[in-house]
Amino acid sequence: MIRIAAVGDIHMGPDTRGVLRPAFDTLHECADLLLLAGDLTRHGTVEEARVVADEIRDLAVPVVAVLGNHDHHDDRQDEVTAVLRDAGARVLEGESTVVRAGDARVGVAGTKGFGGGFVGASAGEFGEPVMKEFVRVSRHCADGLRTALERLDEDGCDVRIALTHYSPVPETLAGEPLEIYPFLGSYLLAEAIDTAGADLAVHGHAHAGSEHGMTTGGVRVRNVAQPVIGRAFHVYHLPVRHPAGTRSGAEAVTG
Amino acid sequence: MNTHESGSARGTPAGRTTEYRVAHLQDRLAAGELGELGVRVEVRGGAVLVTGTVPSAGCRDEVLSTVREELAGLDVHGDLVISEPSSPDHAEELS
Repeated sequence: MIRIAAVGDIHMGPDTRGVLRPAFDTLHECADLLLLAGDLTRHGTVEEARVVADEIRDLAVPVVAVLGNHDHHDDRQDEVTAVLRDAGARVLEGESTVVRAGDARVGVAGTKGFGGGFVGASAGEFGEPVMKEFVRVSRHCADGLRTALERLDEDGCDVRIALTHYSPVPETLAGEPLEIYPFLGSYLLAEAIDTAGADLAVHGHAHAGSEHGMTTGGVRVRNVAQPVIGRAFHVYHLPVRHPAGTRSGAEAVTG
Repeated sequence: MNTHESGSARGTPAGRTTEYRVAHLQDRLAAGELGELGVRVEVRGGAVLVTGTVPSAGCRDEVLSTVREELAGLDVHGDLVISEPSSPDHAEELS
């Protein structure tokens, strides 16, 4: 069994410095890794990123993160990423990483993702340049996620997780106004997850949404936005379908 | 003789229309010091309801202060919750 801790939308700033650390310090008792589903800051400033970095530095479990839209607001996403990586987090954008949990190898593929909406009410790559660009960005994120998941499959991971900020399905948005669904996620992410396969999809972004959902292909989806889960993080226990036994492999590879 | 008052023909000052004031408030919250943080502002009858979850008591005070300033003259009911930072007491078993 793999124990996955996850939270998104912690929106840290100088006034919340240290607030989550006491809970994060208990992670070794209940989890094998911590997933951060984006919107770790409020405006994506380096100062806010340093607060997050101090919150996760030297934790007893590996930390895997994607950025969210707030983390892009100050146009310093590369610096935010560097600050988090310096604190030990593996920050993914169209990339994957492998974490060892006992004998099992847990693959995490991540992207921020983007909006566009869901089947029957989605934006198309048509019209004004900015509209086409909007959809292209969403498609690019989804393509990156699919490729990263496929790479993990080729690597023979025992469990594969899709980590995004935007939602792949509308079910976990229940509670949000219907009118803003196209800004909360995209079916392209779910299509990528179903095409490549995954054991669990984790996202944030929708503060007023719901925790539980599922893709058309049957992959469980969890919205771990902190306002939704009402805790510092939630823990999910995933069975290992193919025990790794004594197989050896790289401790951690990001690519 | 037409005695019907037509607001649209003569225009209505935007500052007097609650709906537009709320929309501008949400723009200000999004662009402001706090980011939008998922705060919802809804017109309920003659009052405005502010709901959502924010990371700290300071954030809550700042959001409500901004709302009251932007919507001066309207009743504002704040129901903002502060994020809970404790560890979970159980895990979900996924089969």
